[in-house]
Amino acid sequence: MTCGYAGKVARVNLTTGKVTVEPLEQQLARNYLGGRGFNMRRLYDEIPPNLDGLSPENKLFFSVGPLVGTFFPGAARFNVSAKSPQTGILGDSNAGGFFGPELKFAGYDQLIIEGKAPKPVYLFICNDRIEIRDAQHLWGQDVWATQSAILQELRDARVQVAAVGTAAENGVRFAGVFANLVRAAARTGMGTVMALKNLKAIAVRGNQPVRVADHAGFAGLMREIDRAIYEHREYPARALMGTTKLVHALNEAGCLATRHFQTGRFEGAEAVSGEVLAETVKVKSKSCFGCTIPCSRFFQISRGPFAGLKSEGPEFEGLAGFSSRVGVADLAAALKGVDLCNRYGLDVITTSEVISFAMELYQRGILSRAEADGLDLTWGNVDTVLTLIEKINRREGFGDVLADGVKAAAQKIGRGSEEYAFHVKGLELFQADPRGLKAYALGYAVASRGGDHLRSEPSFEFSGDAAAGQRMYGHPDAAFRLKYKGKGRVVKHYEEWSALADCLEACKNTIVNMEIVDFAMAAKLMRTVTGWDIDREEVQAICERVVNLERAFNTREGLTRKDDTLPRRFTDEPLPQDAGPSAGSVVELQPMLDEYYQARGWDTATGIPTFSKLRELGLEKEARELKERGLIHDEA
Amino acid sequence: MNLRSVAKVFDLRVVVEEVRGFCDLPMRPGDYFEVKGGRITIPQGKHICMWALAAMLPMFPAKQRKIDEENDWLPSTRHMCCPDPNGMVIYRIERIPAGDNRGPKVSTKEVDDRENKPFPRMLVDEKVCSGCRSCELACSFYKTGLFSVDEASIRVAKDEVNGMDRPLVCRQCGNARCVQACPAGALDRHPETHAVRLYAEVCTGCGACAEACPFGSVHFREGKPLFCDLCGGDPRCIERCATGALRYGRAGEPPLKGGPRAAIKGGR
Repeated sequence: MTCGYAGKVARVNLTTGKVTVEPLEQQLARNYLGGRGFNMRRLYDEIPPNLDGLSPENKLFFSVGPLVGTFFPGAARFNVSAKSPQTGILGDSNAGGFFGPELKFAGYDQLIIEGKAPKPVYLFICNDRIEIRDAQHLWGQDVWATQSAILQELRDARVQVAAVGTAAENGVRFAGVFANLVRAAARTGMGTVMALKNLKAIAVRGNQPVRVADHAGFAGLMREIDRAIYEHREYPARALMGTTKLVHALNEAGCLATRHFQTGRFEGAEAVSGEVLAETVKVKSKSCFGCTIPCSRFFQISRGPFAGLKSEGPEFEGLAGFSSRVGVADLAAALKGVDLCNRYGLDVITTSEVISFAMELYQRGILSRAEADGLDLTWGNVDTVLTLIEKINRREGFGDVLADGVKAAAQKIGRGSEEYAFHVKGLELFQADPRGLKAYALGYAVASRGGDHLRSEPSFEFSGDAAAGQRMYGHPDAAFRLKYKGKGRVVKHYEEWSALADCLEACKNTIVNMEIVDFAMAAKLMRTVTGWDIDREEVQAICERVVNLERAFNTREGLTRKDDTLPRRFTDEPLPQDAGPSAGSVVELQPMLDEYYQARGWDTATGIPTFSKLRELGLEKEARELKERGLIHDEA
Repeated sequence: MNLRSVAKVFDLRVVVEEVRGFCDLPMRPGDYFEVKGGRITIPQGKHICMWALAAMLPMFPAKQRKIDEENDWLPSTRHMCCPDPNGMVIYRIERIPAGDNRGPKVSTKEVDDRENKPFPRMLVDEKVCSGCRSCELACSFYKTGLFSVDEASIRVAKDEVNGMDRPLVCRQCGNARCVQACPAGALDRHPETHAVRLYAEVCTGCGACAEACPFGSVHFREGKPLFCDLCGGDPRCIERCATGALRYGRAGEPPLKGGPRAAIKGGR
């Protein structure tokens, strides 16, 4: 097998208990690199159009990438994909930690889960041995208890576990797959799919080596990359706070989602900032496998009502989700919210959205206290926030209303509440107000898994480098977050860059945000790792192919330009005066969309890829299929 | 009975019997001092560790006296250990026989600086280890050309619930228990680096070394133990340690290699 790949794909049918191991197709590796690319290829090929995400015919795909298992910093991730039961479109999520590398060491680039087990089971993968084991004793246990029980049962502390919590078992549609207790592949309900298959966890252990083709070349590139990382201006802040630094930074910029995006400045932000977390409760820095940027942290709370709470994490999404988004200015309470989500196995973004959504409905008199099980939904009510997490986990009372995501909750509640359900394509937005970040706004609108920031992360718009904006993206405004011109090309570029990170299964913080690996460096890495004669253009074409394949998948599901939208608040209501530098801003979505489709070579009217674009990317088969379905009209 | 009889008070000699871990002061086996009445005398040119002394002091007046009480633990207690768990310097407290008024000979040989200092070794700070296991990957990659953490002679034991990460690597104990424990004679010390060295062809894989290791740092690959050879005096794992949890050198001195790459909490 090509160096850099484990060389095998395991397919487990839980209905029949049959396990088959296939060699990894060389063409799949060369055309899709790995990780998200592999999963998207399978998803398109194996998931029939309009399949219900809750159907047992849905499949779960776990993949790792060619750098996973090496000491490339942050190449520790895995993607998990399926038809999403939450959004009804493409479902995909990824997480770091230690599970991905262990799957690679066990000898697999991809793991495919089919069917539904007759009773709760977990998988134990140890090199060539793949066992389907009884998990009835684990059913009803949270993520943490499940991992501990499995480690004890298998008597090997180096086993890595990816598990679902009780939320997934109870059918909450935004439940994630959790590795290493807190490493959440949380978006789009992949845990929900896993639990529906009666699959409680996957435990993996292996000792197959990962090889690189050019030992000296790889070591040399790593020296270069190390220097770039350690000398990076963001390094000290990332090592101290990781993404939690964004609470303060976004608040300064006036786009920290506050009380459900009603404004961009949270008066309590400084009490819950990454800086305060690092100064007060952080015990030490933590890392994913093989990473030299210890951006995670272990914290312990020693005083107050949450004394004794200790855990790794959180990321910005969780911290801001249970602070500014719901109006809580208490660090320990926010950490408790994140901890509950980790244990129950919930997506912190969606969970905090549905809670803040309910709070805004209450503020506006759309929702009464009685309808919310008597809970006082006043902003900042910690007890309410924590109680709602519990209720969502159990799908109990008002929690049941919220447990299918905000789009479904608004449909159930009605009375104009849809206006306040902040999602795109059924997936909720994270805690950065798009009105102050125009490229991010466009990224949310077009992201293939729904309203999501991690499909593009177009951080170029913070640069302020007008000359670079002109040179790289055709307009000086591209370099300014509050301007909208040039953003179409920025988002296209960053979508492909993010796809690169997801295909290599390395961390976007390193590759994209810190700009450590561009397409040229990725080509060099792939040459030393695999021995392929691959250049910058080929790598970028692969990433563009992945983005287009995802678009083709969603097109086949019936999505068009009209679905590339944003909640009305962001396009119509300017950020209020207290949002500081972002005040008065709205998202000029339509012109940005036009520019984006043009940059992509897609049909501007429908947002559907053109036949020629798909063919150019080697997706002619998909182009024909979409044409046969009457979705593509341009000529071959 | 003569109530005014004067209690017999012994003089004591306290000798370093062995150094199981390592001592950076350094204390060496054979070093001693004497307790005569209320005075402590240290042979010319020698020293005694303040921490060990502080730990042992309460014992001296007790050991100076004759105790007749049956079942008392004091008469049979002869050994005390330095309070530093990494040091494990074992002291033997003996009574100086009557008439012995010359202590054992202290070597007067000029010691060269290299010998007077402990050999450099892996220094581990669990409190800042981020648990990333990069060291394992570096060890396997530079030793075997493969990324295979099971080939690594350094391993990080992780307790995720409590956020504990402990790099388990040979600490190159001054008086290595593993070398003594090996029934096959498969272990010795490298003459240059002083690293514990394994003769794999002699090793029977019995595991006595692992049992003897006070740090739990002997790892196995296919039935044979893996011993860190310090990469010949330039440990490569340290190059990938971002936090400074791993350093190479002598405690209390600036490291010869390694140190945190950024100002992160808990580091320097």
